[in-house]
Amino acid sequence: MGSKSNPQRKAGEARVIALPADFRLTELADVKAGLLQALEAASVEIDGAGVERVDTAALQLLLAFRRAASARGLPASWSGVSETMRDAAGVLGLTQALELPATMPA
Amino acid sequence: MSKAGLAQFQQVFIEESLEGLDTMESSLLALDNGGDGELVHTIFRAAHSIKGGAATFGFPEISSFTHEAESLLDEVRSGKRAIDAAIIEVMLRAVDCLRGMFARAQAGSPLNDAVAESLRNELAALMGRGAPAGGVQARRNVDQADAWTIRFRPHAGMLAGGNEPLRLIRELAGIGELTVTPELDRVPEFAKLEPTECHLGWTIELKGPAKRADIAGVFDWVEGECDLAIEAKHVVAEVAPAAAATPAAPAASVADAGAVRAQREASAESSSVRVSIDKIDGLINLVGELVITQSMLDTFREGGIDAARMAVLEQGLAQLARHTRELQESVMGIRMLPIASVFNRFPRMVRDISQKLGKQVKLELVGEQTELDKTVLEKIGDPMVHLVRNAIDHGLETPDKRRAAGKGDTGTLTLAASHRGGNIVVEVSDDGAGLNRDAIVAKAVQRGLVASGEGMSDDAVAELIFQPGFSTAAVTTDLSGRGVGMDVVRRNVADLGGTVTIRSTQGKGSVFTITLPLTLAIIDGLTAAVGDERYIVPLVSIVESVQLKAEAVRSVAGGGELFRFRGEYLPVIRLHDVFGCGEAIQAIDEGLMVVVEGEGTRVGLFVDGLIGQQQAVVKSLEANYRRVQGISGATILADGSVALIVDIAGLVRLQSRRKAA
Repeated sequence: MGSKSNPQRKAGEARVIALPADFRLTELADVKAGLLQALEAASVEIDGAGVERVDTAALQLLLAFRRAASARGLPASWSGVSETMRDAAGVLGLTQALELPATMPA
Repeated sequence: MSKAGLAQFQQVFIEESLEGLDTMESSLLALDNGGDGELVHTIFRAAHSIKGGAATFGFPEISSFTHEAESLLDEVRSGKRAIDAAIIEVMLRAVDCLRGMFARAQAGSPLNDAVAESLRNELAALMGRGAPAGGVQARRNVDQADAWTIRFRPHAGMLAGGNEPLRLIRELAGIGELTVTPELDRVPEFAKLEPTECHLGWTIELKGPAKRADIAGVFDWVEGECDLAIEAKHVVAEVAPAAAATPAAPAASVADAGAVRAQREASAESSSVRVSIDKIDGLINLVGELVITQSMLDTFREGGIDAARMAVLEQGLAQLARHTRELQESVMGIRMLPIASVFNRFPRMVRDISQKLGKQVKLELVGEQTELDKTVLEKIGDPMVHLVRNAIDHGLETPDKRRAAGKGDTGTLTLAASHRGGNIVVEVSDDGAGLNRDAIVAKAVQRGLVASGEGMSDDAVAELIFQPGFSTAAVTTDLSGRGVGMDVVRRNVADLGGTVTIRSTQGKGSVFTITLPLTLAIIDGLTAAVGDERYIVPLVSIVESVQLKAEAVRSVAGGGELFRFRGEYLPVIRLHDVFGCGEAIQAIDEGLMVVVEGEGTRVGLFVDGLIGQQQAVVKSLEANYRRVQGISGATILADGSVALIVDIAGLVRLQSRRKAA
């Protein structure tokens, strides 16, 4: 969603990153490692449907990731966003910056 | 934190911040002289602590002002901007301005003034951001409003400390309706992002009536872990008059940096001294020893004294004496502070003055760690400022003149402090032109101070500049040469019990030497008997004491007596006459003539006799009785009686007035 697909990028591996249920400070090193690898993929889908707890650091990490992805022309989309995450992003004013989908995709 | 709890720490914070500002200033000056990049970090750290502390301790104006300075420094630090003279200049002014704000914080007056506002805008402009609207600025101080702008920037480590912006903003949402705008520009590149650090910031618009305290309360737990600015946007009607009055106050407040500095010094008089733990531990030890000795002596209350016990008693008394002396020294030591705090104001001053005069001056500081009494320290500043100004204005030459004289373009000004005996010696020396003998003699002749310069030694000529109203500057500048000259310097130093001398070589430079007692609380003196009274004559003023034959003293026309001493005639001051002591010795050959020197004049003090030398703890006569001409204080003698301390300079003045009358 939101991100522009890059015509130059050859179709290849699409990566799905499922965010952990406890998506908070202490878990972020692992998530970051996964996201770093995903930067090399052809496209990325982030699944936040299972996120039960989230904090500012986690959203900041996603924000930086989406910036890196868009800088590389890597399409990154959301395959699911939990209510918790949506709410947190709303409070922090990051809904737009994270390009969260307006409604949960089916 | 409660209001009272906060106030307790505010003073400490202000003192620490003033130290931080001193650090910033000296580092900026070092940078100006081509110091290394580490200095930028030092300056940044100092600014950062001030900013964080100011937010914590309830000085949002200082915090937001410092924030502008800090942002500029941050760009320098991260290499986005090269440090140049313009930045140093504006930062130095920011330091001055902050000093003013802290002075006003101590005085409890509104912190912002016109200078702060314009400098803030200047800093913002340097950063390429527009100045915030003036209306908002003026209303910054209000406590209640129905709309607020909250700028919240957590420090990188805040998240790791367990403080969650999510919670804070949710809490704010309980106060009013929020519009949250994130600041994303500081978030680093993904690969470089340390996930546990916070690089986000927020500008939060809060709508709905709220008190500043309520908003600030939300951020209580993250004080010091974030930058916070809370600004009122819409003032509630009933507090509007107070808000309207705010802009008027800064206009009346002091804008001039120099005046602010003076204000700071005035308030510093009653301020505290920081004492190292080592010194305090030493004191506690000594008091412990005293208690032990006392309980040991206590055992002598009962039982008789035989020879063996007598020996123990004597030993105990000796111990008591030693510990008391050590304790006294240690307590005096608490008041001893390094002269660095006075020296440190000079790099800035020298820089400003030399730029103004188009001279190149290198300032060298020697012996900054020399310690002296806080009271002396506070009072030595002004005479030194005068000497330094004089040295740059009159002493050091412009680069062309220096080249013509075969010297390097840059003149050297040296401030040196050292201990010499019980005195501290401060030298202000320059390698400039030295005193212009001809100009001084011409001026002195014009003023009728001397008939001609024929046969006068260089020292005698140099001595002339200490005469009241003496200035040879062809043009009076705002720096020096206003007629309040060296005589004031000498008077001020003399009031501290010190002396000023000058050594000058034409073409090579001048050295002004200020000699001061280390402390004003204790003086070494000779106890003199006059009738039934005892007087203490300060040892530093005593030249010699002689027993004279009656015929050695001659009465002169118009009253007064003179005696011949080493080739000169000195006036006699009979102490019993001056202070009205009864039953004193009248005959010259039965008493003793103590030759003393004060304000460059020698006189003979006629006393009954000298009893001995002792250290006198000076008690203020002014505080306990009233000021008495010719007496500088009092002390308690070993037998419990009071002895007055003779003020030699005062006596000399008294004598010359009598003569004139």
